[in-house]
Amino acid sequence: MKRPPEAGDILQGTLDMLILRTLVMGPAHGHTIAEVIEHTSENALEVEQGSLYPALHRLEDRGMVSSQWGVSENNRRAKFYQLTSKGKRELNAATGRWRRMTRAIGLILGESHE
Amino acid sequence: MSLRRFTNRTRKDRDLTEEIDSHLAHAQDANAARGLPQEEARRQAYVRFGNPRSTRERVWRYRSLPWMEDIWRDLRFALRGLSKTPGFTIIAILVIAVGIGVNTAVFSVINAVLLKPLTYPDPKSLVEMRNTGPQGSFAGANIPKFNIWHQQASVFQRVAAYDFGGAGLNITGGDHPEQVQGIHVSADYFALFGAPVVAGRTFTSAEDSPHGGHVTVLSYGLWKSRYGADPRVVGTTIQLDGQPYLIVGVIGRGFVTDTPADLWVPFQFDMNSQDMAHYFTVAARLKLGVTMAQVNAQLRLAADEYRRIYGKDSLPANGGFGVVSLQEATIGDTRFPLLVLLGAVGFVLLIACANVANLLLARASSRKREFATRAALGAGRSQIIRQLLTESLALSLAGGALGLILGFAGVRFLLSINPGNIPRIGEDGSAVTLDINILLFTLGISLLTGIFFGLIPAISASRPNLAATLNENGSHSGIGFRSGKLRSALVIGEMALTLVLVIGAALLIRTFLKLQAVDTGFATHNVISMAMSMSGDRFQKTAPVAQIIRDGTDRVLAVPGVLDVGVSNCLPMAGGFGMIFDVVGRPKGNSPFTGGAGFYSISWRYFDALTIPLLRGRSFTEQDNGAAPGVIIINQAFARQYWPKGDPLKDRIQIGPGAGPAFAEGPRQVVGIVGDTHDGGPNRDPFPMMYIPLAQMPDLETALNSRVAPLWWIIRSQVNPRTLAAPITAALRDASGGLPVAHIRTMDEIEARNTARQRFNMLLLTVFGSAGLLMAAIGVYGVMSYSVQQRTQELGVRMALGAQASNLRNMVIRQGMMLTLIGVVIGTGGAFWLTRFLASFLFGVKTLDPIAFIVTPLLLLAVALLSIWIPAKRATRVDPMTALRLE
Repeated sequence: MKRPPEAGDILQGTLDMLILRTLVMGPAHGHTIAEVIEHTSENALEVEQGSLYPALHRLEDRGMVSSQWGVSENNRRAKFYQLTSKGKRELNAATGRWRRMTRAIGLILGESHE
Repeated sequence: MSLRRFTNRTRKDRDLTEEIDSHLAHAQDANAARGLPQEEARRQAYVRFGNPRSTRERVWRYRSLPWMEDIWRDLRFALRGLSKTPGFTIIAILVIAVGIGVNTAVFSVINAVLLKPLTYPDPKSLVEMRNTGPQGSFAGANIPKFNIWHQQASVFQRVAAYDFGGAGLNITGGDHPEQVQGIHVSADYFALFGAPVVAGRTFTSAEDSPHGGHVTVLSYGLWKSRYGADPRVVGTTIQLDGQPYLIVGVIGRGFVTDTPADLWVPFQFDMNSQDMAHYFTVAARLKLGVTMAQVNAQLRLAADEYRRIYGKDSLPANGGFGVVSLQEATIGDTRFPLLVLLGAVGFVLLIACANVANLLLARASSRKREFATRAALGAGRSQIIRQLLTESLALSLAGGALGLILGFAGVRFLLSINPGNIPRIGEDGSAVTLDINILLFTLGISLLTGIFFGLIPAISASRPNLAATLNENGSHSGIGFRSGKLRSALVIGEMALTLVLVIGAALLIRTFLKLQAVDTGFATHNVISMAMSMSGDRFQKTAPVAQIIRDGTDRVLAVPGVLDVGVSNCLPMAGGFGMIFDVVGRPKGNSPFTGGAGFYSISWRYFDALTIPLLRGRSFTEQDNGAAPGVIIINQAFARQYWPKGDPLKDRIQIGPGAGPAFAEGPRQVVGIVGDTHDGGPNRDPFPMMYIPLAQMPDLETALNSRVAPLWWIIRSQVNPRTLAAPITAALRDASGGLPVAHIRTMDEIEARNTARQRFNMLLLTVFGSAGLLMAAIGVYGVMSYSVQQRTQELGVRMALGAQASNLRNMVIRQGMMLTLIGVVIGTGGAFWLTRFLASFLFGVKTLDPIAFIVTPLLLLAVALLSIWIPAKRATRVDPMTALRLE
């Protein structure tokens, strides 16, 4: 039953948080979400696109996002994702966790550089 | 997880495929917009995306079995973690196994006794007929009652009668006569209980009427052992009490009665009998759809009818008839003690849970960093709780599996100290078997246990303070405030529960000691008893029975080592007969008779054999026979109750006024008063008792006696009477013309049986109490040694600052004893309230016995002190330098 670790697994929580954050700005389809994450992070975070869809679908199953088919800016059919209120709450919680952790890690790293 | 996820799979997959295509198209558009040629734009979009098929597979996989996979992953993780700390794992599993084991053991007995339906077909419609009165109801019937009940066809489908226990029958005709359990039954008996007939048939109603002939139905056991299960035995005869009985049928193996029977013979009641003696039980099967209200209404009419026919004195005005379900009747008064026992083992399980929760809390606090890291990586609180619960469930299920095994060993132990009066467990407890109920019970409490002791640590550990935890950089972090408080609370709870258990055990131990100290009023040491069945036509009159008593007494006295021999129709402490009486010439007022008392018919040496002291008057002699004037001896309790003034030796007593022709005898002169015996058991006051000579009984009464009870020989000897059993039985056989004896038991054994239930309760509660005490000791030791270990640094600093070793030790002890003391106070309060449920088990001890309530808390404090001493001692050995270097 053992399966090789996947990048998406390790950064699962982080990717979810980033996706939710992207959707704060409004409904978007998968390609836009990937591009926004990459551009906003100055291309430091490159979303593995293969992981994006499992993540989106999982978030949808958990009720964090909802989706519907629509027409994209360049007139193609695309599936648009939208943040639900549950997703907003989760985004707040995840952001808070993330901030605390980075602060904690920062403190440790700071000490170790003494 | 909805099923639609599976059913919609094709549609969802198509949806996903389309979505991926859309993504690729958008990517291609974007690439083309950057100026790439169409072909290259398309290629790069694909490269960037990776294999769409593998993405689709990942979504599928996640959609199909996420929870099973999660559980599997949690379980693997849990097992890996547990195997890394084998010491913890083994202790936790053992503690749970003990907790679950004792529960499984007690539940197995409860299952067999209280829960399993009776083995007869449609057991719910079977009832036992009862006599009701203001004091409750009791079983037992005479022929007139049986007759009246028989006529209640509107509510009963069938009504059948059978012996209480029976006098036993002798299989004769071979070299070795053998006494067997022959039960008298009415013709409907087998049909009522749905007994399976494997050969021949059961009794016809003609065979069950007076002069219906000698017929018998064999049990499967006797058929197998004596006839090798040969079906041709039907139609042949068997010699019973010197008479040929025609074997008409054989009952199958599946038919198990509460009193195991070897064979059955018909009652052959004379339904016109006016005999008022109660000497059998009656059961009935309700008609389909009949309610209890209908039965009771019908029985009220029956009671009126009974009074009308047999006179108003035949049934007390406040008495009547009733029914109780046969299952209830069989269980008797066992239900309450068993439930108390279940409560006690419930305590043991709670203590075990508190203990393991404590261990888990300690473990969780040392894993704080692990949880913090996982939380930082995005694991939700529920995921951490789930992970921890998986661990505790793995522990509790392993403990439950081991507990099941322990439980079955425990059941064997329970049955080995079985007081002998637990109904429905079979001769050797064979009815207590593993079945689906027990498996479900054990599984159920394992799961509950795992959730119970796992949830508190899991919730407390899943709320980590990330920054604080990751910020801590040493082992000195210790148990956080929250979990430290929790652990203390658990220790206090453990102590309190244990104290209640141990106080309960102490009360029962004191009860047992008090019971042992009660003087039974007669000799039990070096006294042996044996039963001789007098059933059969030879013993319908008093003279031949008296002759056997005389001959037997002479021959047994001639056996070297024998000091004395007495004969009686019932055995002290083994249950006897009661009889109503009048004091001649005394006004009766409203009551139809003067009173009731225990009734023994005895030989003239009976009091000597049991060394029951003669207090006044004279004892019986060999001359008190049928030709001499009637005499009676009473005990002190009788004299005290009925002659608060006056002299009993001046009075005469008339036995059984109106009790039927068997007891129609003349008044008897009171000739002596003997000492009291504790016949109802040492925990009951001696009741009034009357003794009459066996040789002076009317023939009809002897015939009835021969039918319902064996003759008991009671022999006192200089040496261990067991060693004389062979010559004594030989002497009795010679004297009786070849009658065998059975049920050979020393009076010491019979006395032990009388306190067996108290001994049983005491032993069990002592075992449970000790288990609780041990676990509580482990618990407080664990908490204290953990806290010492966690505070190594603090202790080191204190030492470095000049604290004395003894100060540190005292500090640790003070903290530990504080927890214990709080637990003891709470536990004492709990025991104040809970011991009231033990009241009916106690004798000579109050539920708030000061000794139990003082000694037990002291004992618990001592045990706790001992368990705290070791970690306290360790605290004094902390090396300040090592402790500080840990920083």
